[in-house]
Amino acid sequence: MLETFNFRVILEYLPLYGTCLLATLWLSAAGLAGSLAVGCAACAMRISRFPALHWPAAVYIESIRSTPLLAQLYFLYFGLPSLGVPVSETTVGILALTLNSGAYMAEIIRGGIQSVAPGQIEAAVSSGLSYLQRMRSIVLPQAVGITLPPMLGQAIVLVKDSALLSLISLMELTRAGQILTSERFMPAEGFLTSAALYLSIYYVLKALTVWSRKRLIHLHTG
Amino acid sequence: MIEFRDVHKWFGDLHVLKGIRLRVAAGEVLVVCGPSGSGKSTLIRTINRLEPIQKGELIVDGMKVHDPRTPMTKLRAEIGFVFQQFNLYPHMTALENVTLAPIKVRRMPRREAEALGKEVLAKVGLADKLHQYPAQLSGGQQQRVAIARGLCMHPKIMLFDEPTSALDPEMINEVLEVMRALAREGMTMIVVTHEMGFAREVAHRVAFMDYGELIEIAPPEEFFARPQSERTRLFLSKILTH
Repeated sequence: MLETFNFRVILEYLPLYGTCLLATLWLSAAGLAGSLAVGCAACAMRISRFPALHWPAAVYIESIRSTPLLAQLYFLYFGLPSLGVPVSETTVGILALTLNSGAYMAEIIRGGIQSVAPGQIEAAVSSGLSYLQRMRSIVLPQAVGITLPPMLGQAIVLVKDSALLSLISLMELTRAGQILTSERFMPAEGFLTSAALYLSIYYVLKALTVWSRKRLIHLHTG
Repeated sequence: MIEFRDVHKWFGDLHVLKGIRLRVAAGEVLVVCGPSGSGKSTLIRTINRLEPIQKGELIVDGMKVHDPRTPMTKLRAEIGFVFQQFNLYPHMTALENVTLAPIKVRRMPRREAEALGKEVLAKVGLADKLHQYPAQLSGGQQQRVAIARGLCMHPKIMLFDEPTSALDPEMINEVLEVMRALAREGMTMIVVTHEMGFAREVAHRVAFMDYGELIEIAPPEEFFARPQSERTRLFLSKILTH
């Protein structure tokens, strides 16, 4: 099988793969940054006592988690212009990743906050610490350590999900495979190269996850 | 210092405090005992409004705890609370645990707070554990850090909710020793515990609770020698025989 594998054509398309790898990286990075911001905001709203904040966040999180990313992507890509909002493909792509991943991030952050033992909160309340002081000194420092590994896991999912952006003709890793396939009729070479590059991103993120888990263990045993 | 005037509390349909009347004077040490579910933990948790009350009046240090307008953070700063499960902050060292509230709530400069924290931790016998994390300390040591955390606020009242119940037997005494010293210094204390030796030795009065009612309250000599109520006698016979 490998003797028929054409490495020369891969070399020929290497510059395209390079550009597309960078595109995947920056689209994912933008989506990740956006989803962290959206996730924090949605989580803060979700755990709020006020119905006006609580319910919109709950609806957002539930509707994102219950529908496919592809449907969300098409909704933004075809839906927004038809509603009279002109947006570029790149904006739609980043927006879709942000909104989709943001809902998962919100739940990850909420899990981290709620994993802080209620007894500690009572102790802080008893000492006279205000809500904000408790959040800042007790809850968030622990939640960050607890949420880091699942957040990196979500980042891995996000990178793989960015492949769907090829469907709205954004240049990224999967699109590079499609181009090689359609120009030279070599789907094996095309998509295996894409897959190999996804794998390399995955290993970097996985190494970070392992490192963060070790950090987390240190945090709790000093 | 603390006054319960016909205090009632319900958890849903469950009537957990049924008309508590109780006065605790400044400098008094009161031990509260009773079977589990009798409402004794709930009783002391109402004092700093960890549990709100539904009926009656509760006055602590001249402030109305039952009044929703009372600034609770101010009152809570004056009341140290020690939990059965210690509830230390696991991401902070012993010294950081005890200095957090003085710095944040009392606005004490960090250096001053650390000097205070070292002094108080030394007082509870932990001068060599300042920079250890809770997970590196034994149960008895953790509970002593928790007591030090309360003392660093220079509280007017210290409340103890079964402070030795989660400890291995050999560690109980090191915690009781710290509490005895505190009582000798004249701290106002309410202690929920089954350590009857401690009650005999340091309590000014011992109270017995059952089914949300304060059944009996008397000085320890009287309480142990001549319990007035049948329920108290039954309870004492159960816990004093072993």
